[in-house]
This record gives sequence, structure tokens and C-alpha cells, in this order.
Amino acid sequence: MRIRPVSVRLRLTLWYSLVLALIVVIFSVSIYFFVKGRLFRQMDHQLRRDLAALTEVVTKEPDEAREVEPEDSSNLFQVVRGTSLYYQSPSYQKSGLPMITNPGPDKYRTVRVRSGKAFRLMTGTTANGFVLTVAENEGPAWGTLEHLFVILVSALPAALILATLGGYLMAGRLLHPVAAMTEQANKITAENLSERLPVHNPEDEFGQLALVFNRTLSRLQSAFVRLQRFTADASHELRTPLTAIQSVGEVALREDLDAGDYRDRIGSMLEETARLTRLVESLLLLTRADGGHVSFELKDSDLTQVVEKVIEDYRVMAEEKDQQLVMDIQKGLRARIDADTLRQALVNILDNALKYTPSQGTIAVKLKENPDGFIVEVTDSGPGIAPEHQEKVFDRFYRIEKDRPQDVGGAGLGLAIAQWAVVANGGRLELDSTENKGSTFRVVLPK
Amino acid sequence: MKILIIEDEKKVALALKKGLTAEQYDVGAAFSGEDGFYLLNSQKFDLVILDLMLPKRDGLEILITMRQKQDKTPVLILTAKDRIEDRVIGLDSGADDYLIKPFAFPELLARIRALLRRGPGSQVTRFKLADLEMDLVGRTVARQAGPIPMTGKEFELLEYLLRNQGQVVTREMLAKDVWRETQRATPLDNVIDVHITRLRKKIDEPFTVKLLHTIRGVGFIMSEKAP
Repeated sequence: MRIRPVSVRLRLTLWYSLVLALIVVIFSVSIYFFVKGRLFRQMDHQLRRDLAALTEVVTKEPDEAREVEPEDSSNLFQVVRGTSLYYQSPSYQKSGLPMITNPGPDKYRTVRVRSGKAFRLMTGTTANGFVLTVAENEGPAWGTLEHLFVILVSALPAALILATLGGYLMAGRLLHPVAAMTEQANKITAENLSERLPVHNPEDEFGQLALVFNRTLSRLQSAFVRLQRFTADASHELRTPLTAIQSVGEVALREDLDAGDYRDRIGSMLEETARLTRLVESLLLLTRADGGHVSFELKDSDLTQVVEKVIEDYRVMAEEKDQQLVMDIQKGLRARIDADTLRQALVNILDNALKYTPSQGTIAVKLKENPDGFIVEVTDSGPGIAPEHQEKVFDRFYRIEKDRPQDVGGAGLGLAIAQWAVVANGGRLELDSTENKGSTFRVVLPK
Repeated sequence: MKILIIEDEKKVALALKKGLTAEQYDVGAAFSGEDGFYLLNSQKFDLVILDLMLPKRDGLEILITMRQKQDKTPVLILTAKDRIEDRVIGLDSGADDYLIKPFAFPELLARIRALLRRGPGSQVTRFKLADLEMDLVGRTVARQAGPIPMTGKEFELLEYLLRNQGQVVTREMLAKDVWRETQRATPLDNVIDVHITRLRKKIDEPFTVKLLHTIRGVGFIMSEKAP
């Protein structure tokens, strides 16, 4: 899988900018309306104060209204009595605002005059029958708002550009380990499986990813090394009988032999062929077992009978080698097994035990049921297996002594097959061994 | 008896032809599916030895066509495909027997004999070879009228050897038919050899005429004459 940091980087930045833009817009709109509300409330407050002052004057002495000197040009007011105008301030006159004779339902109003200017009005009545109107020019407030609008609108893109740029750089920095990992992962092939991805920070997500990837690489590497060793061992094992066939055949052709001798040489070649066939079958079986292609069926079977039959097959072998084969078999045990595969495991284990036990030695086979499951134990009185070899004896082609004679050693696949067969039956194969005393192979099958 | 071999590996086909001709069979050989199919349609054979992986026309295809045409000639499949599923497909398609490469020639002979012999075979209850007698019903073995005690396995082994007397029996045949071992990978050769040694001690050692002979690299044979 190819990681494309650029695209993730761009996507991150875009999302980030989009969210930011949304926030800024909401924020700007809020500010605008907040300021607008504030300005108008201030204006209304001013109108209320002006109206109150005017009311006080007009109630006491209507004529005093004329004396209310315009403090500045914005002092807009008018006084109406009934339907006729009583007094208008000069600026009110200039503004072109209408004469208002009726207070109307609204406390505050905005009135737009012909010149386009907008005024905020407040109308009230006095106890002595005057209708008073005060006004404020809305112009300055709108001017402020316009200013604010320009500032907000021009600041928005600037902020966005800055944020996007920052976001893009930051995303790049964050995603940098991914790019480094990609580059390194691309370089790792079968030839340099020992290389690992850089881990920038083992705590963060990318570091975790790199660690997981590195662990996978480690497993891959050890599998690869095992495979290489297996292939080398397999070719070595195949080469041995092939060499024998070739040399026996070549030598026989050079010599002038009688028919009986030729027959003997051919027989010798056929023996090697049989060995080769057995080896290929074993390899094929293990390869299939690895791929899970061996068909077998676990079904309720007579375990006692399976064990007894294997012992029976080997009893004469033991007698022939002058070994004691003793058994302690619990009768009538039944288990969910594939009898053929389990038999294969037991044959291989027993074959091994007989092979390594010297004459006069003892091989004991025990079958019993205990709370753990069913136990088959094969104990030999052979040379035992040193602790450093114990784990490896189940490896393919593993031989404790490399120079062990071929006729004793076999190809070194028997225990590997046995282990596969036991595991396929849902059990496990254990080994207890003391050097110079003997070994016990224990098959534990689930109930 | 006419046998047709359809096998694209010439060396194998010619070796088989030679071997079977020496056994007094009339043998034809075809090196491709096409040729084999042509021969099958133009002549009558008593048995066909068929390789499954053939150029041009697949062995299985030939077999299926034969059976569709109601051709009941016994077919023995020879193949390197040895998974149980492949075996089932072959037998389900109408094959009568199946032999996996590499195979021992004596085993092929034994299977050919069995296929050609098929039908209501007479139930044999006694075997006799020179002065050795075996009674399957009474489960007794005697030589020169002296009874020889046998274990169950030895009895089974001797029965199988006598049933095939005059013919070579391989260790693989013994493993399969007497020990009922399905996997070739299982190391039974030593077990078989020990049983043969013990059997020989009982039926041959005390007597001057030896009956059970070893053929190096191949297997064993029961016969009056040394091979």
C-alpha cells in the first residue's frame, strides 16, 4: 500500500481552513450585530434623556423651549400643541423631518427623510397637552458600522490565508514521519529484510504504526530465514540420495559385471530412489500442512485401539533390537481425533524412541486420562537431549549431531511431522529430557 | 490381453511398455491425449493406463468421454496429483483405480492383474507353495506337515505374499494393504523388514528350499525358485 502524504496533507489543510472560515464568519456576524445593537441602544438612551429634559421644561413653561439653546447642531426637537406647531429647533427645521402630532404606538422610530438621511425619533406627551419629539441623526452610527464591516470583510481572507498556510506547514510537519516511513518501506525488499522503519516518536500514532510494521517485518524476516534454511536443508537432503544413485549407476556402467551384480547395483539405486520418494512425500506433507491443505476429519474414535495398534507394529522391532517395550494403557478411552494423522504422529515418535534407545534399553508407552485431557507418553532410555537442542528437535531437518550416521538419522522430518499431526488433532507435543538418562515425548489431546 | 498406455512422458511410457510386454501383455502406447483418443476409438483394449496431465487433451476429459460413450474398459489413472480431492475426482469420473507417481512397477502389475481379474472371483481359503500350506479358515500354517505358530500380523503378511505368489510385492504395497498405512511419509520400512525377517525364520530357516526371497531395492517374492 502506498501512503500519499501530499493528499492527506492537503485534505487536512482544507478541512482545517473550512472549519476556521466558518468560525470566523460566525464570529464577524456576531460582532457586527453586537456593535449595531450597542450603538442604537446608546442613541435611544440619549433620546430618552433629551425627551425627559424637554418634557420638564415644557411642563413648567412652554416658552422656555425656545430658550433651550442648541448645544450643537444635533440638538433636534419640536414641540406641537394639538395639530399646530408650537416650536421647532433650527436643526430640526433644516433636517426636513415631518411634524409629528401623534405619539404613535412605537417608542422609538427610524424615519428616513427625502435627502436620504435616517433619523431616530422619540415622541412623548406632557401633562399640559404638548406633543414633544426628539430626534438623533443615525448617520454617525451607520458610519461606524460601515467601518467595522470593511475591517471584518477584509480581515477574513487575510486570516484564512494565514491559517491555511500555517495549517499546511503544520500538517506537513506532522506527516513527515509517514513520508520517511514510506520512503524506507519502499527500500525494504527480500534482500534487506533486516532494515526497519524509523520510529520518530514511539508514543504517537505514527510511531505505533511504525512499531507494528517493524514487528511484522521481524516476523517476516525470521520466516524468510527459516525458509531459506529449509530450502538449503531440503536440497542437501535431496542431493544425498541423488548423488548415490548417480555414482552407483556410473560405476556400474564402467565395470564389466555379471547379471547378478548388475541387479544388485540397480537394487541399490532403487533403494536410494525409495529414500528420495519418502523424503519428497514428507516434504509435500509438511508443505501442505503449512497451507492447511491436508484433509482430515476429527471424529469420535477409539484412542486406546489406535495406540495399541502402533505399539503392536513396533513390538517386534523392539524385540529384534533386544529392547524392552513396556506399556501401561488405560482401556476404553475414546477421543475426537483423526485416527490416521494421530497414528502418524505416534509412529514417528515411537520410531524415534526405538532408534535412539540402545539394545537392552527400555521404551515405555503410557496412555491415561487426566483432567487435562488424554496423555500419551513415550519414554525412552536413549542418550537424552541437551537443553539447547530441546526446542529445536521439532524443527525441520534438525539433527542433534550433524555427523550421525544416515541409517540412524533419517532425514530429520519425523518429529516435525509428529508435531504437526498432534497439533492438527487439537493437542500439543511436549518434551522432557535429561541428558544421558532419556527423553519423554508427551502427547496431550483435548477431551 | 491388450493394454493401452496414454502417457506424454516418453521415457515412462516406453519403460512401462517394455515392462508390460515382458509380462506377456499386448501393449500400445500413445504420447498425447489426441493419439490416445484416436487409438481408443479405432481399437479395442482390455485396459487403459491413463496419465491425467496430457498435452492437447486432458486425461480426465478422455475418461469422461469414454464413460459417456458407454465404454466400460477398465481405466487405471497414473498421476503426480496425489491430493485426496484429485483422487476422488478421478474415481468419480469413472476410473477403476488410481496410482500415484512415483510408483513401483510390481505394484502397477498387481493392480493391473486385479483389474483384469475383476468379476466374481472364487473365494480362496487355502494356499499352497511347494510344501508350505496355509489354511485361511483354520488359520493354520504348516510346512512339511509340521505346524508353524504365527502371530496375527505374520499370518496377514504371509497371506498377502501367498496371494501374490510368483509376483513381486513392494514394501509400499505391504504398508498400504497389510499395515493399512495411508501416508507414504510414515516410516514403516523397518517394521516391515523386521516382520519379514521373523516370518522367514519361521517358514524358511529350518528348510533347505527357500520360499521367501528379497529383491533388493524392490521388495519381496514368494516362489520356489530363487529369482
